[in-house]
Order: sequence, then structure tokens, then C-alpha cells
Amino acid sequence: MTRTVTMWLLIGLFGFVLTPWYMTDAGFWGFSWISGVASDGESGSAFFLMLLHGRAWLFPPLIAFALSGVALLLIKNPVQKARVIVGITGVGLLFTMMQGLAIVRGGPRFFESFYSTLGGVDGQLGFGAGAGIVLFSLLFMLTTAYSSAGKGSGDAFVVSLIGLIIALVGVFVFYPVSHILVNAFRVPGGEFSATDFLTRLFSSELWHIGCITFSGSCGPAINSLVLAILTGASTVLLGLAFALIFTRTNFIAKPLLRVLTVIPIITPPFVIGLALILLFGRTGSATALFADLFGWEKTRWIYGFGGVYLAQVLSFTPIAFLVLIGVVEGISPSMEEASQTLDANAWQTFRYVSFPLMRPGLANAFLLGFIESLADFGNPLVLGGGRFNVLSTEIYFSIVGTVADPAKAAILAMALLMLTLGAFLIQRKWVGTKSYATVTGKADSGQHAALSRGVKFAAYTTALPWAAFTAVVYSMIAFGSFVKLWGYDHTFTFEHYIRAFGIKHTDFGWKLKGVAWDSYFTTLEIATIAAPLTAIVGLGTAYLLVRQNFFGKNAFEFSTMLSFAIPGTVIGVSYILAFNFPPVELTGTSIILIIVFVFRNMPVGVRGGIAAMSQLDKSLDEASITLGANSFTTVRRVIRPLMGPAILAALTYSFVRAITSVSAVIFLVSARHNMATSFIVGRVENGEFGIAIAYSAVLIFTMLFAIILLQLLIGKRKLRRTDRVAKAH
Amino acid sequence: MTTPTEGSVVFKNVVKKYGNVTALKPLNLSIEPGKLVTLLGPSGCGKTTTLRLIAGLEAATSGNIIIGGEDVTHLSATYRKVSMVFQSYALFPHMTVVENVAYGLTVKKMPKNEAHQKAEQGLELVGLKGFGARLPSELSGGQQQRVAVARAIVLEPEVLLLDEPLSNLDAKLRRHVREEIRQIQQNLGLTAVYVTHDQEEAMAVSDTIIVMKDAEIAQIGTPRDLYEKPNSSFIADFIGDANLIDCDVTHTDGNQSDIVVAGTKLSLKTPANGTGAGKLVIRPHQVILSNEKTETGFEGHVTYAAYLGNMTQYTVDGPLGQLFVISNVSESPIKMGDTVSINFKDNDIRLVDI
Amino acid sequence: MKKKTLLSAVALTAVLSAGSVYAGELNVVCSNEQDWCDLMAGNFEDKTGHTVNMVRKSTGETLAQVRAEAGNPKIDVWWGGTGDPHLIAAAEGLTQASGVDTSDLLGWAQNLATISEGRTIGIHLGVLGVAYNREILEEKGIAPPACWKDLTDPRFKGEIQVANPNSSGTAYTELATVVQVFGEDDAFKLLIEIGKNVNSYTKSGSAPSKAAARGETGVSIGFEHDMVKLRRKGFPLEIVSPCEGTGYEVGGVSIIKGAKNFDAAKQWVEFVLSAEAQSAGPQVGVYNVPSNSNATIPAEAPSVESIKLIDYDFATYGSTDTRARLLARWDSEVKPK
Repeated sequence: MTRTVTMWLLIGLFGFVLTPWYMTDAGFWGFSWISGVASDGESGSAFFLMLLHGRAWLFPPLIAFALSGVALLLIKNPVQKARVIVGITGVGLLFTMMQGLAIVRGGPRFFESFYSTLGGVDGQLGFGAGAGIVLFSLLFMLTTAYSSAGKGSGDAFVVSLIGLIIALVGVFVFYPVSHILVNAFRVPGGEFSATDFLTRLFSSELWHIGCITFSGSCGPAINSLVLAILTGASTVLLGLAFALIFTRTNFIAKPLLRVLTVIPIITPPFVIGLALILLFGRTGSATALFADLFGWEKTRWIYGFGGVYLAQVLSFTPIAFLVLIGVVEGISPSMEEASQTLDANAWQTFRYVSFPLMRPGLANAFLLGFIESLADFGNPLVLGGGRFNVLSTEIYFSIVGTVADPAKAAILAMALLMLTLGAFLIQRKWVGTKSYATVTGKADSGQHAALSRGVKFAAYTTALPWAAFTAVVYSMIAFGSFVKLWGYDHTFTFEHYIRAFGIKHTDFGWKLKGVAWDSYFTTLEIATIAAPLTAIVGLGTAYLLVRQNFFGKNAFEFSTMLSFAIPGTVIGVSYILAFNFPPVELTGTSIILIIVFVFRNMPVGVRGGIAAMSQLDKSLDEASITLGANSFTTVRRVIRPLMGPAILAALTYSFVRAITSVSAVIFLVSARHNMATSFIVGRVENGEFGIAIAYSAVLIFTMLFAIILLQLLIGKRKLRRTDRVAKAH
Repeated sequence: MTTPTEGSVVFKNVVKKYGNVTALKPLNLSIEPGKLVTLLGPSGCGKTTTLRLIAGLEAATSGNIIIGGEDVTHLSATYRKVSMVFQSYALFPHMTVVENVAYGLTVKKMPKNEAHQKAEQGLELVGLKGFGARLPSELSGGQQQRVAVARAIVLEPEVLLLDEPLSNLDAKLRRHVREEIRQIQQNLGLTAVYVTHDQEEAMAVSDTIIVMKDAEIAQIGTPRDLYEKPNSSFIADFIGDANLIDCDVTHTDGNQSDIVVAGTKLSLKTPANGTGAGKLVIRPHQVILSNEKTETGFEGHVTYAAYLGNMTQYTVDGPLGQLFVISNVSESPIKMGDTVSINFKDNDIRLVDI
Repeated sequence: MKKKTLLSAVALTAVLSAGSVYAGELNVVCSNEQDWCDLMAGNFEDKTGHTVNMVRKSTGETLAQVRAEAGNPKIDVWWGGTGDPHLIAAAEGLTQASGVDTSDLLGWAQNLATISEGRTIGIHLGVLGVAYNREILEEKGIAPPACWKDLTDPRFKGEIQVANPNSSGTAYTELATVVQVFGEDDAFKLLIEIGKNVNSYTKSGSAPSKAAARGETGVSIGFEHDMVKLRRKGFPLEIVSPCEGTGYEVGGVSIIKGAKNFDAAKQWVEFVLSAEAQSAGPQVGVYNVPSNSNATIPAEAPSVESIKLIDYDFATYGSTDTRARLLARWDSEVKPK
């Protein structure tokens, strides 16, 4: 412990004395701060700011480092030493953060008189490199010491990971979200009231059930709930059907099917909705076809529940599939074989062995579909028509509508969170505490059971028509990018691609002339940075949740779901409210985009990771640890290789979501960092479907390429020499 | 309590609680170096918890654990010089056999070539030379088990822990593998702690057996001690077969005890812990049945007889209740339905639970 | 030790990479069409040498962002979009007077500046109108509308689409226009009658005209420049300016309070109000009426002379109180239950 703590102490001191404490306009990597670090009032290090610029309130880290150093040298008893350092660094962290919150750009915010006794307090900028280094080193000193203080599992890696994730979730989820949720308790006029809050939260405006009792329409909360349940259930069903076809049958066109199951997830927003309108709208091709064939009336059924539901199931089935394929694949063949040797037939084996073992996967897939549906905003916007209001669109318009009502937005967000929490708790109860480990250390070489005739038939009849439907929708989209005026003038043209991605040869070589290049590269760059970070944070969290026991684990688990459950609009606005001001000032940078993606998409990594990791027998970890590997090596050499599909899913999903998500980024994009979706939405709003779809098509191909690349890099788990499927009998 | 020596495991007042549930009452034990010690007991007795405490996979609630003279109570499993063979083998399915065996070595930064060489030696030791390139899924259960053993011993641990290592094997293989394990342990002079619920297995492999019951130690001793000198009816019943008969001790002087059983006074050449109600432990082969009526014996009725080649098993009803009897005498076999007289080889009879 | 380094290297890198806002440049949020935004930014850069960082966001989103960033804005100037949110921002003290000379501007543009004490200035005028899909109406044998009152006729049953004034500024302009044309009580009676023919109150203001262009609805209410644009693309849209008189929106430009590049922002405001800059509109399909009296009016722009334009009272109908009252009444009387 002493060695690690000393290392962090030195890193922290380095940050305190030699790097700029504040975030400067020139950025860190330009290194232009070097000249000013010992003198300048802006790019100076904390140490010199204290000495030369009267910023005495920057003292807490220095004291913490000094006292920790003393403790390291003088205290002999290791447990006692660790406890003392935990105390010192804890207090140091607290005070360092408090000074940041208390003294902002305009000067002190709290305890003015106290600070004024310290002399010239003229405000300060946001935390920069130096502050970051100091805070992280204090945090890791604390966690390392804590692990040696006879608490926790005694494993510094695990404790540090817990500390890091709690700190990150605290700063990037709770801190911003609290900014906006506080509004829920505010009555018009600015006063706070708890009773008012409850009456508004449970008002009939939100929860009336007219559509169920055939007496009008339903409240947005009920609409959201019904939609989310149906979407969640349908995506799980379809995802399971696809996963079964992939792992348990010898279906010929698997690669094609695979593409069809992935494409919807990589489709930018609005595109599916538009395609559905062109198919099933009043003048849509399918509508016209059915009208000609069967004389059906041309109606507007697509605008409302039906359309939104259809679009959501199209959009979210791949998520269920991604979660379920890992789970279905991971079920140990020997368990199925055991069942068959007990004279169970294929159906009984599926019903009583395979299916129950899929429970965590099914539950997690449902939860994801449910939450995605609740938070989805693009599809209800395009297809909801005037009557089918859901919470997410209501929230959006109570923020950006003609009358901004932050209190209403907060209340609606609370209602949405209530639904999520409910689903989360029910899911927990259903999965229960049974063991679902199927990859044990005892290797088996069996074959996956073939599906019973009935299950196979059901899987085919569910999945194949859906795949065909997806194929039709996407042919429509591809078609739309090559015609002059989608839905009206179908003259073939390359014009949209040229406008978006044109390249021109000039005297100075090739130039990117297309209007989309800028946002295209920014998007790729940000997604490429965000995806691995998301996977690491998500799977790291999953590892803690499945494999480690610590105080407050349930609350921790739910808190990691929070940012996912809150609609992007709310997250976007709360990020501005929280990160536009010191101590953490990030608006206008690309970091805020990366962070918002990491913390919004992390829950998918967590869910997928939990599902996959609960299939790995714990004795594998324990074997590794008793063989002298630490937790980190265990994660790296044992868990990670066995988690291939989950990692692939997390990476793919977070990469893709960083490219396709829109609601959160719309507030956070800036001129320098514009994102593809924000560009596309602008074009759609402007009625320029052609270029929007051409751009989308290019994005889809980019993402497909990236996914294939990832698949080649990460590959499959090598659990058995061959993954065979028994011949159907 | 012996003073801790190199290679030994010492527990000082170790307690383990999960919330309000006590998994281990204050436990004191000391394991001598080079010995194979078995933790034996019914499920839920705390034997696996004890093993995991030694491994460092569980943290003690209080007390101290000393391994090789070093207090490791707060040391995580990674840094303890113990290795463990798991009930499920816990072979890493994505690594080949040799990679599995070399894992612990490479983790300790041994160069890959060297580690693989040592791993091959380890495999040779367990008779799996040439299997290194296979995946665990391509081995039989017994072979996987031996890979798990090889993986644990190539690290030359101070203590080798085995958690029900044979429970996944069939009966014949079990006997073979346990002999192998015992041989390797003795050849290498390893200190080993072995957990099992199978008393026969425990008797066959152990230097010392620690029988546990209800989160504490019931008795420690060599297999012979436990069998011949059980300190309770639980031990007597758990180690081997025993007939337990209620009795009343009226007098004892350290070598000789007078008892009353089924209304009959007997004088036995065995000590008792005191006087009062107790239990008489009679092993099945200590009962002598005869067709002729004897002076001292009880009269009984044979309700079941089974000839097993090298011995005959009987169930006899009589004033002492139902007795289970094994006889090696092959001549003049007693048949079912016979009335017999029952006598004991009284020098091996024990008095417990007084 | 190595593991910790790895664990936190990522986090540290993220912290260290943090740049900040870039001074010495101009940060513009544009609420106009993307092409118009790009063209003007390019022209401004060519003319002044400033670097323009521009992003396009809708008015509602921009207002929400400006509110959230109040005190430490990352935006210098907000250009385009209907005047209402600009007026709201001015009233909430989120923007500041630019002090730019408005003498060349048309009356309605100066009017916006007067109401807002110079905080926002009119840049263009967009007329509220009704569009119908020629092909659909012919197919169904429905006579086209000419007046607001026509829209109450049962022949349009299920064929009219208009946005919800709670979410759309366009629809609020329509609500306020009808109130100003007919008087509040009669206006609501009319809206209730029209409501019987409305198939959907959309969220977005431009959605109804797009739906009409593709025949998803027969008739839409919205801004005429959106409709002109769709017609220019080839959709069978016909545009009608209601005979009783119609309202309009005035697009605004505002400098955000606390802007870090005030001088460049002021230059931007001067630039977008100039005749030269405004005359470039038709190049990228912008067909609204420019505010500079010397700018060329595009031929496709609704001719203000032939339309009966009401004298839209921005001061009254842009105020938060009137807005809240009208919307509440709309919710209780017009909104479908």
C-alpha cells in the first residue's frame, strides 16, 4: 500500500505545483501554459497561485499531501496508517471540491466573510488539468488506503474502481440531474413546496386513462407506460427469435439476417419514422398497394400509437438481440444435454432448462427496451401526430415550447423516473437471486440442443417476416437517397451525395467540398473516443455489481441507470446548467459531448455486462486470484476474454449511439463540435430529406464497417473447439 | 497450541459472520507443515468457509489467520502463498491446458517459455504429458481434475487447498485420483488442506482429520483416533458405522467403567468422562454373534443377512434396539430368522456423550 | 501500480484535453435554414476576416440554451427564427442592445427593436398562410380555401393540419393572428369550428406544410416561405393568403448579454441587416421579405402589397401574460380531449 499511496502522492504534488490549476483557453496539450505556470494568474499552478496571487483557499490539497506524507513516514502499524490516510485524504478531497463550488467566476458564493479575511478574493475559473490531477490522486490515495485499512475485500483495484465509478457517476449524473430535478419542487414563483409537488406528480392530467375506458385520450404517463411495456415485450420476443435462429439453427442466410438485425440500431433518428410515413402514410406506397389490392381505405393510422410502436420496435429490437445472443450462446450445452438424457424432449428442454437460464438476459433486454421506449423522443415526434403524447415529447416541449416551464419538465421527468424505477424493481424481483452460471470451470464439449419443432417454427415465423419488413424499410431509405424528391419526384440522382460528401480537385490538391464532412469527422472522432470509455465504465460497473459486495450496492446499481432513463433533453439542459460554470466548466468543448455519451450509454454496457457476467462461474475468478493474480489481472486475462460478446455489444452500442443520438446533444453541440445528427435534424426540419437520408446512408455504412471491424478485432469466445448445433431430429 | 512454524496454518479465534448468521464460531487450529489435513463434516458445518478463509476469498470478521508464520488476516487472496483446487475445477475455458497450468506462473511475471516448461513438468507429474495443447473441453473429467491439481502445485504453494476435488468424478476414478493426490502431496512434502463430506475419502487421504459441526470443530485427530476414540456420538456415527446404544454409567475410575444397559449391568475396560446417562459406541465388527446361547450375551433376532464375499452384514433386533453387525467369519453363517446371542469385544467399546 | 496508471490514464487524459471557449472569434447560433446560415457565415468571414463558429439550432432549443447559460454565455449572437423567442429573451434580460443603426429598415423591423429596447432587431418578415395540395384536393373534388372562414366548411373534414401553439411558435402566431382579425371570442369560436376538420395538431410548426406537400393532409397552415420552398422543389402546393387578413412573424437578431466578443457580434448584426447581405437570400432558396428597405425582394416572396396584412401587435401578443392566457384558453376550448 505504502508504495502505491506514495506514487499517487507524488503525482498529486506534481499536479499541484507544476501544472495549471485552472482550465485555460489555450487548452492543455498546447503546452503554452508552461511559461506561465510559476507566475501567471490564469495558467499558474495551485502552488504559485497560493503564493503569488493570494488564492490562499487552494491550500487543502497541499495540507492533505503533507499530512499524508507524515503519516506514511511516521506511523508503523499498517492498518492504523491506512486509516489515518483515509481520513486525511477524505477531508482534503471534500475541502478541495468545496472551494471550487464556493468560489466561482464572480467571486465567493458562500461564506463570503470567511474568504474575505483571506484577502483579495476575485473569483476563479473552472477546474483544469492541475485540479484534475490533484483530485484524482487524492481519490486514489483514499481508495488505496481504504483497501488496506482492513475494510472492503482488501483489494486496491476493486476499491479504487468503486471509488472512481462513484465519483464519476456523482459528478456526471447526480450533480447535473439534481440541477434540473430541484425545479420539480418549485411552484410557479420560485418557492419550494413538497405538497404541491406530489399533487402535480400524480395529477390526472398525467395519468388519466381515457383511452382504456374509451372516454377520450390517455395521459402522457399512461401512454408512455403502455407503449414501453408493449415495445419492451415485442423487442424481447423478436430479439429472442433472432438469437435462437442464430445460435440454434442452421439457417442459411444468417449473415444477411445479422445485417438486418443491426441496421436499425445504426439508423439516425427520424429516418425510420420518415420511411414508415412513406410506406404507411395516407399516400404511402404500401397504403396505395393495399388500397388497390383489397380496396382498403387510405387512413392516417400510422400517426399515433401504431406508428410510434412500429418505429420503436424496429429501432430497439437490435438492442434486445445484442443482449440475448450472448446469453443464448453462453448457455452450457451440457445442461441441455443433461435435460435430454433425463428424457425431456426438445420443447421441455427449452421450456424448463434453456428458457429459465435466459431469465437474466430476457429481463435485462426487456428493461433496456422499456427504458429506451420511455426516453425515445424522435419517433413520437415524427409519428405521434397530435393526440398521442408521451412523456418524452411533453418534456421536450415544456423546455423548448412556446411557454418554457422547467417545473413541468422536472415533474414529467420525475414521472418518467418513477416508471423506470418500477420496471427496475420488478425486473430485480423476477430475476431473483438464483444462480444462472452456465460457463463453469468444468469444461464441456457438448452440442447446443436443437430447437423443438414448435419453438423453431415460432422463431422463424416471428423473425423472418420482421426481417423482411426491415429489409423493405431500408430499401425505401436507400431508394430515398438516390431520388430527387423522396415520396414525390423519383428521378434518379447522385445530387444529395455530392452535396453532402463531394470532393473537388483544386490547385492545392483534393478538397472536401461537401457540406457534411465537418460534422462527419467530428462525429466519428467523438464516437471513437466515447465508445471504449463507455465500454470500460459500463463493464467495470457490471463487474462490481456481479462480483463484488459492498455497502449500498443496490442504490449504486440504480444510480447507474439514472442517466439512461432520463430523456436526453433533460440531460442536455441539466448538463448546461451544471457544466457551464466553474468548478467544472465544459460547455462548448468536445469533452462534454464525450462525457454525455459515456454516461448516457454506460447502462447498456452495465446491463449487457451483468447478463454475460452472471453466466461466468465465480470460481473462475477465485481460481485466478488464488493463483496469485490480482483483480485487475483476473479481469484482463480471465473475465475479459470470456466476455467477448458483451464487450462487442457494449462497444458497438456505445459507438453507434454516439453517432445516432440526438436529443441530448442538441443542446450541447457547438459550432466547433457539431454532430451528424444535429446536422441531419436541421435538414429534416428544413424538408431536405434527400440530403438527410444520403447522410444517414453514409453513416449507416460507416457504422456497419466499424462493427465488422470490431467483430474481427474482438472475435468470438473460444469456449469449445467448435460451436455446433445438433441436427434436428 | 503449538507455536506457528514454517508452512503451517494457524487460526486464532477466527470468527466469520454473514450479517447475523455465524458461519464460524471462534476457531483455533494449527496445521503442521507437510501434512494433509482434511476438513470433514456435513454440509453447512463451516468447512468450506474455513478453507476460503485460508485462501483469503473470505475476510475474517475477527481473529487472526497466520500462514507460514506471517499474519495474513488482512492480506488479500492474491498475495497469499496458497493455491486452491476447486470443486468445479475452474479451468479457464478459453486457455489451453498448458496455458491454464502456466497461468499462475505468468501472472508472477515468469517468462512465458520458462512458465510453459514448468507447466509441462507439472502436467507430467499428474500424468498428463503431451496434453498441453488441448482445450479443457477436450479432456475427460478426471483429466480436467488433474489439470486443476497441476495448476495449483506448479506454484509450489505453502499450502495447497482442495475443495471437494473429487465430487465430480465417478466412484472408481475417485479412488484412483485420491491416491494420486496423496502421493503427489507426500512426494513434494506439501502442506494440504482438503475439504470433503465423504468420511471414507477423508480416512483414505488424511494425516489429520478435523471434523466440523455447527460452525465449530467437533474433534481433531488421526483417522485412527477418530475411529477408535470418538469423543461424541456425532463423531462415532460420522466416522465409519457405529451402533449407538443408550446407557447409564454408574462408576468410572479412568480405566474401567461400570454401566447399565438395557437393564443389564456391565463392566467395561474403557474410561468415561463421568457418571450418568451416556451412549455406548459399538462398531459393527465389534459385535460377536453366535448361534449358541452364551452366559453373558443378550439375545437377539436376525432380521436381515447379506453375504458380501469377504464379509457378511447382519441386522439384529434385540434388547439393545436394532444393531448393525459385520462378521468376517465365513463358516457356519448365521441365517435370517435365527435367534442369536450378542457379545462385544469390550476393549474397543467407547462411552460418549456423558 | 501499473493497473492504477491504466485505470486513471484515461480519466486524466480527458481532464487534460479540456479546452475552453475560444475568444477572439464569433460564436453564432443560427435559427434559419442551414444553407442560409452557411452562406451568411461565409460572406461575413470574407467581408470582415473574423472566424465565425456557427451552429444551427431551432428557436426553442436556442432559448433554452441561452437561459441555461445565463451569466456565462458561450454564444455571442443569435440570428434568425421568429421574433417571439427573441422578445422573450429580451424581456428576461438575456440579451443586450446592440446600438446598431436601424434607419434603413422597414417599419415592422424597427418596431421589433422599439419593443425590445434595441435588444432584438427584425431581419425578415414571414407571412402566415394556408397551403393546399392541388392533386389531393382535385382527386377528392374539394374546392380550395380562400379565407380563414372557409376552413370551417365540412368539406375539409380530416384534411386540415396545423401545429399545436403550445409547442410551435408558428401555431401561436396563427392563434394570435386569428384573435387580432376576429376578436378573441369570435376567434375561438372559429378555431373550434376549424378544429372539427383538423386531423392532427402537430408538435412542429413546419410539419403541416411538409405533410401537405406529400399529400398526407390536404390543407396546412404555416409560414408562406416554407410553402414556397416546398413548391419550388416540385411539390403540388398552392399557397393562399386568407382574405380576412393574415399575420406575420418578424425574424430577429440579438446579441447575448455577456457576449465575450461584443464588437464582432455588433459587426454581425450590422452585416445581416445590410441590403447587400440580405439580397443574397434567393441564392439558397430563402423567400421571405428582407427587412432592409434597399434589399432586393425575391420574386417568389409573398408580395406584401397584394396581401391583406394586419398590423400585428407584437408588444401585446408577445407578452408572457397574454401568451399564457391564450394558450390556456386554447387548451381548454380547442385542444381535442
